[in-house]
Amino acid sequence: MRALVHPELVTGREDGFVSAAWTVKPGSTRRGEASCNLTERILEIPLGNDATSRVVRAHELMHARVSPHVIEHYGALDDVSPRALECAEELRINTLIARLDFDVTLLHDGSEKNGARRVAESGDWSEALCFLMAVLSTGGEKEYLAGIRQVEPSWMSGLRAVRKRALALMNALASPTLAATRLNDEQLPSGYANATIVLARLLTQSMNARPPTTPEELRSFRRSLEPGGRRAPTGKFAPLRFDENVTMSLRPRGEGLRRARPSTTGSTMRYPSRLLSDERKRAFARRSTFHGGIVIVDQSGSMDIDEASLSMLLRRAPDALVVGYSHRPGDNGLTPNVWIMADRGSVATTIRSGNIGNGVDGAVLAWALRRRRNTEPIVWVTDGQVTDSHDHPDDGLTLQCAELVRRHRIRLVKELGGAGRALSYSRTTSRSQWREFGRLGRKLLETQAF
Amino acid sequence: MTLIERTDDVNSCWRDLADVLKSGISRVLLYGPSGTGKTYAALHHGVGSVPAERLVCTEDLTSGEITGTWMPVGENRWEWREGPAIRAWRGSGGVGGRLVVDEVDRASGDALSTLLAMTDSPESARWRNPETSEWVRPGPQFSVVMTTNVDDLEDIAPSLRDRFPVAICIDRPHCSALASLSDDLRAPALAGSLGPASRRVSLRSFYAFDQLRRHLGTSRAAQLVFGEDAALSVLDALAIAAIA
Repeated sequence: MRALVHPELVTGREDGFVSAAWTVKPGSTRRGEASCNLTERILEIPLGNDATSRVVRAHELMHARVSPHVIEHYGALDDVSPRALECAEELRINTLIARLDFDVTLLHDGSEKNGARRVAESGDWSEALCFLMAVLSTGGEKEYLAGIRQVEPSWMSGLRAVRKRALALMNALASPTLAATRLNDEQLPSGYANATIVLARLLTQSMNARPPTTPEELRSFRRSLEPGGRRAPTGKFAPLRFDENVTMSLRPRGEGLRRARPSTTGSTMRYPSRLLSDERKRAFARRSTFHGGIVIVDQSGSMDIDEASLSMLLRRAPDALVVGYSHRPGDNGLTPNVWIMADRGSVATTIRSGNIGNGVDGAVLAWALRRRRNTEPIVWVTDGQVTDSHDHPDDGLTLQCAELVRRHRIRLVKELGGAGRALSYSRTTSRSQWREFGRLGRKLLETQAF
Repeated sequence: MTLIERTDDVNSCWRDLADVLKSGISRVLLYGPSGTGKTYAALHHGVGSVPAERLVCTEDLTSGEITGTWMPVGENRWEWREGPAIRAWRGSGGVGGRLVVDEVDRASGDALSTLLAMTDSPESARWRNPETSEWVRPGPQFSVVMTTNVDDLEDIAPSLRDRFPVAICIDRPHCSALASLSDDLRAPALAGSLGPASRRVSLRSFYAFDQLRRHLGTSRAAQLVFGEDAALSVLDALAIAAIA
């Protein structure tokens, strides 16, 4: 005989959800085969009379009681991963039904261990974190962690740290607060905002972070989970997000920059040494007018640029492509982190300021190299700091940038004012100058040594 | 959000009924799940000092039970006793009163024909008293409210349905009907009639449960009122509803 369920009796919401009849569809106790669709009021649940079915039904009914029911209640959360939100909400729901004495240890279907192994084998640290929230405190947690441990034991310390923090966060809230549906000032159900969103934000930043392996990394990772803690290192650059709202205007063309280039013919032998060193023996100088080049400007931290410097640069190189970049640490793709300041003859009407962090250094260099015309010079205005998407200096990323600089002869300058001059030089930045560029300079010197 | 604010949303059917009766519509059909207070409202809402006449339809209902019947009052003496429909036509002093026809979907044959005549438009409706040969017409304030538990109005005879231009689905109890229920049961009781028949929990059940649990405890009260099969499910739903 099928068990009865009474979703209509689950009342008490204070977020404008109007009581009405539900459609109940038969589901099962297997993961993913029970659901609660609040928009269309469809409850898919196991209808067995066994204890596990009852707990699964309670889980879905709790969704009906406390989960957001309109998309607007998720709307302000573009900075949070949807998967993190989904799994954080699962933990809130399981916490609430456990407090009503439903036996959440029955919530497992035997797929947890194999599922965990697959996640670990694919190296999906983000999913490993999220799914842990979905099974936390349930009967599936132990099996899930065992599966992860078999394949990626190095992830365990990080997972345990997140587990501890998530439980502390839930335990800090009494049931009425955790389950509250009254809309807050941001028009979000307050229980959801105080627990699910807070946890989902933590998860999102941890998902982007590198799984901690060393004691020092673990300490940093743990600190990142505390309120106000600095985000843990990610070890990778953020994806580039161009500012689409930049308005460009045509700029009167100047004369450009005249500079000498080595040539096989001419009236003055300017580079006699090339008779020995250059197989084409380009010992003469030929004056040519130079108009272009690419200038990449690190606008992180205090590296402000002023319009006068940009104008001076564009007088010398009117066809230059000038881009600024700076990533907001932890940003999930909402804030533009790269913007065009001048593009081959046109110039941005306003110069925007940076977003504190670097975060995309290597990604911008790679993008600029793809936009390079022939062998035009590339100048990088930088303080030598290379950071990941959470604005942590990173050796691997610094090395990556150093290799790009060396391989593609990217010129380094400290300020935008020096970019015009750097464009005009035919020489790249010298080894002695590298020392001025902090970690990047040191990495350049190290790599040069080999 | 207060209960009053919520009632603005959930009590729209009751507001419809009040507006319709206030506008002078004298023929209204109320339908929807049982236990929501349709009959109570029909008997009391918009009725003056004279009590409404009530007629409960069954398959065995006869026209005599509607309009009246000869009753023996002594040896070889019979007297005509008017039925509830004619009494409602007359009302107090001939101005007309309220006739409530319950379970109208169950009326059939002879009774249905008589009901058609009794609920006809004021201009057409008339009936002759077999004892006095008096022609009786509905009084100017005569109104009739029919109630039925059908979900689909197709189940009602079209000719009868046609006499009731306004049909209102009453799918939940009136908020005022919850006043004496414990706080934690009021909102679930309001929503208890919303689901399909197999899941409905009537207001009467909630009242019984509320009273019983004070004496017998929650589990036993639930078993006695909702039955073995539904008790656990109802209690689970109530516990989840009361979480915050």
